Amino acid sequence: MNDKPRSSVVLLALALVFCALALAFGLRVWGKPRILPPNPLVDVQFITPNTIRTSYVQMIRLKADLSDFDCYGCHEKNKPPTLRFDTNQNLIVPQEHSDVVMNHGRHGRNNNCFNCHNEKNLLLLQTRDGRELKLEECPPLCGSCHGPTYRDWEAGAHGRVSGYWDKTAGEVRKAICVDCHNPHSPRIPTRKPAPAPNPLRPAGRQVTHED
Amino acid sequence: MNANQPNANAKVPMEAGLSRRNFLRNSAVFASGLAALAASLAPLRELEDFPSMDQFLQKYYKELTPEEMAKVLKRIEDEVERQYSLRPHVRDLKPLAGVEYVYALNLTRCIGCRKCVHACVAENNQSRTPEIQYIRVLRLPHGSLDLEKAEHNYNPEAVPEKGYFYMPVQCQQCKNPPCVKVCPVHATWQEPDGITVIDYNWCIGCRYCEAACPYWARRFNFAQPSLPKERLNLDMSYLGNRPRARGVMEKCHFCLQRTRAGRYPACVEVCPVGARKFGNILDPNSEVAYILHNKRVFIQLKEEMGTSPRFFYYFDV
Repeated sequence: MNDKPRSSVVLLALALVFCALALAFGLRVWGKPRILPPNPLVDVQFITPNTIRTSYVQMIRLKADLSDFDCYGCHEKNKPPTLRFDTNQNLIVPQEHSDVVMNHGRHGRNNNCFNCHNEKNLLLLQTRDGRELKLEECPPLCGSCHGPTYRDWEAGAHGRVSGYWDKTAGEVRKAICVDCHNPHSPRIPTRKPAPAPNPLRPAGRQVTHED
Repeated sequence: MNANQPNANAKVPMEAGLSRRNFLRNSAVFASGLAALAASLAPLRELEDFPSMDQFLQKYYKELTPEEMAKVLKRIEDEVERQYSLRPHVRDLKPLAGVEYVYALNLTRCIGCRKCVHACVAENNQSRTPEIQYIRVLRLPHGSLDLEKAEHNYNPEAVPEKGYFYMPVQCQQCKNPPCVKVCPVHATWQEPDGITVIDYNWCIGCRYCEAACPYWARRFNFAQPSLPKERLNLDMSYLGNRPRARGVMEKCHFCLQRTRAGRYPACVEVCPVGARKFGNILDPNSEVAYILHNKRVFIQLKEEMGTSPRFFYYFDV
């Protein structure tokens, strides 16, 4: 008979604990599940499929201002412009063309404007074997020196493609050389990378294998 | 009989032991026990993504008739519209006949800019918080291909950096996929065009496939995915980029909502240096066929695993 009061004490204590827990759950004493601070949305420049630069062909398509390509607005027809070189045989770029950075080929070897431009008609390009090409038809000109790359480009293995891989479903859009490469300085410039992965760890701490 | 009489009488006080006090006390204990039970079920209140009856009773993908599939697609469109107040176009694109997709990635060209990573996130409606990305770009020092030395948190001012090359890794669409073998419910399988797909409505979230994949290509939705409405891609497909629920697995599917409609994947179109190449290997005139024939295709990643990826890394020259 002695353990009867004891058991009711235990029962009462348990009941109180349960009631307290129920109250705590009900009032969300431990709070809601932690909500992560939202990651900032990535800059749109990292998701657009635009090419690195805007070429003459793209400017025609975008109906942009083409006055920079109106050579005979300044030059005289039938009078080839003269080129000036410094003592190291580097081309002196005239002030009117200060946006042109000559950096094509190692050691400035490709430093003559008329290796590619046609001195008799500045609106055209020329290859070394005498073919004349429009400004928007550069690939055969580039290919006259960069043969293997030109072959890869024709097969679709070099350069950018967009549109349809399935030729029956739609057309494939191939970027041409100057859509990505600046013809006067063809190396692709370095650029800022898009944000690194942002996993669920505090900001500022990056795990590397040196850790 | 008389001898039993006192016993019967003795029972009466026992029954009378259920006094008013005892009854109140016991029922108080009982009631608080019930309350505690109810309270312990409180976390169920947070269960917002409880499936609808239609969703719960939906049949296996391969058993759905076209009419049932149309109903399912409409239901998914309704669900997305309810959540984002934008009406998507959800399709169920089937593999094309005579097509096997192959991916080729030029390690000479890749500059590690991670544009592919983010274009993929935008195209495939991946969760932004917590962050889910299908592509990981590894930075490796020149002169070796030791993945132990790879680093994917690099964040310099400008890429490419001197002395390093970059190797993006995503689902390799294996010919012999270990992830498919371990799935206990057949929620993931390989399609005839080579894409290993996941039925997000059939996945039970056991994560066996994640453990089986040697490329860390699968991603799990531990939390409710969050998508910004203004970046939602409304061109969706059932096995592809429709919004996922909490507790399901997802991974790269070669943008099947694009590629099965004949288009290039998002990562191919966005790559600023043209390092990514994609096409139908069964077409001898495709660019991937040209690359596999003419280029120094040096690896399938972790070739020794016997997974036989459809994703090839190559060098120029």
